[in-house]
Amino acid sequence: MSQLGSGLTLFLSLMVEAMPFLIFGVLVSGILLLFVNEKQMIAMFPKNPLLGALSGSLFGFLFPVCECGNVPVARRLLIQGASAPVAIGFLLAAPTINPVVIWATWTAFPDQPAIVILRVVFSFAIATIVGWVFSWQPDLKPFLQPNIAALMPASIAAPSGETIEASNFLKPGNYILDPSSNPIALDAANLDAVIAIASPKRKSILDRLPLLLDNTVQELREMGGILVLGSLLATIIQIAVPRNIILAIGQGPVTSVFAMVSLGGIISICSTVDAFFALSFASTFTSGALLAFLVFGPMFDLKSMGLLLMVFKPRAVFYIFAIVFQLTLVFTLIINLWIS
Amino acid sequence: MAIQRLRTQFAPYLAEGLVTLALCMWGILILHYWHSGKMGLLIHPNYYGLTLAAGCFLLMLTCLQVLKFWRRRIQVRPQHLSLLSPAAMSGIMLSAALVGLLITPRPFTSQTAIQRGLQDKTMVTRANPQVFRATSKPESRTLLEWIRTLDVYPEPDAYAGQRVNVDGFVVYPEDLPDNYFTLTRFVISCCAADAYPIGLPVRLEQNRKTYAVDTWLAIQGEMITETLNGQRQLVIQAKTLKAIPEPDNPYYY
Repeated sequence: MSQLGSGLTLFLSLMVEAMPFLIFGVLVSGILLLFVNEKQMIAMFPKNPLLGALSGSLFGFLFPVCECGNVPVARRLLIQGASAPVAIGFLLAAPTINPVVIWATWTAFPDQPAIVILRVVFSFAIATIVGWVFSWQPDLKPFLQPNIAALMPASIAAPSGETIEASNFLKPGNYILDPSSNPIALDAANLDAVIAIASPKRKSILDRLPLLLDNTVQELREMGGILVLGSLLATIIQIAVPRNIILAIGQGPVTSVFAMVSLGGIISICSTVDAFFALSFASTFTSGALLAFLVFGPMFDLKSMGLLLMVFKPRAVFYIFAIVFQLTLVFTLIINLWIS
Repeated sequence: MAIQRLRTQFAPYLAEGLVTLALCMWGILILHYWHSGKMGLLIHPNYYGLTLAAGCFLLMLTCLQVLKFWRRRIQVRPQHLSLLSPAAMSGIMLSAALVGLLITPRPFTSQTAIQRGLQDKTMVTRANPQVFRATSKPESRTLLEWIRTLDVYPEPDAYAGQRVNVDGFVVYPEDLPDNYFTLTRFVISCCAADAYPIGLPVRLEQNRKTYAVDTWLAIQGEMITETLNGQRQLVIQAKTLKAIPEPDNPYYY
């Protein structure tokens, strides 16, 4: 009974501590989604592949989105003509390399600045390396899903309703229904067109505020739900798995990394709040394992895999997974075996 | 047919209503924890303001949603299509908030202290304090200050004979004889999820059963050095033990 009481306290503390960061992340990414002109930003990216990958990885600082938001944004970047290293660098780095996530990680680990710094450094390095690797494929189209590839060179003025409608099933993102109840994906690439459907007049900034409200509520529901499930899982592991088993796995320099990478890949918790999840393992798992969770989880998990498959062909998703996975292992095992 | 039409007509209202209720309940829950003083059980005081702002924001969001209903502005319906339906996600959030409202969180107990490694002598990954300030008078050191002092200079004999005046709750470690218990407190740096226990063994004149597990005690006594489980360590020789009420904020930071 007292185990259950402690479990409840643990669960609620994770939720209450994470809630402000979740709200902040959702709000900032919603504001940028609705009010920032991405096309002008894309024109500013350098053409050099390595510099492109570097700047794409840092783009998250201006565009803080967690891993639920980065795939739609990366998709828009590709459609609007950003190069592969920029888009992939952004895709992998944005969920971690942004002020909200860094602040949340600092909040969770005030006594261990190394965790915060290394999380940023490793994520940045991995995102840049993968973006650079993908720059060797000058034409990304064979790696992309046909509907995205078809949109790439074409003018973005035409609403892309037909293409997207063809395979709408289980597709995340914001959708609105047109007057004949057909879903239309809502994103910056077709935002103006979508808004034009809803109203004959072009909407002003003030008129977009209701859209911001809708976006905030939907995102909070989606990520809040996952946060509840993630916190529940963390709590169950803490109170149900015997301590000697957790310690046996968590204190092994190699087993702990594999365990936390797997956990990060499965639970799909939003990167804005995953530091709080990791915190509940801080006393039993090695630093390398916590880092593996914090670096790998935002880049690749079950939820983002579903999203990635909407943009990339399975082969490309596998490449991304394989490179990110191996680099995460290399970096975190170096920490566990030689440094800490 | 009519039911089908009604369902299509009201489904968006239901989904929107459910998510609004869930967000509202989370706002109320956070304000309730703040008002009832239970926030201290869950998170570090540094984050009270932030969490409180989040609670107010959620209630503001609720008001805006109600305003939207009022103006019947539901024709634009963004939908996240994902693994679980929007209603299921709202339901999950709502249930979590209701559990929080119905069941009052309790501070961690001795069982959690043992589970979280009170007995482990070699914790590899415990957070190290970045700041340390020594208190000159031994009798005004808290339990945490004793532990930090010991971390800096771990020779037990250096403290033998010093007066002790500390409080905490009772834990019976399995590896101590019947006339010992460990006086324990939890330390947190962010929220209850990272709480770790600290404690010092207390030697009694009688069997420890007099002081039930999880009882909060203020103990006055003297430091002595003893060999327990093959290790020489600092032990509190209790002179007076007074039961105290559980503090509103049971953690050290």
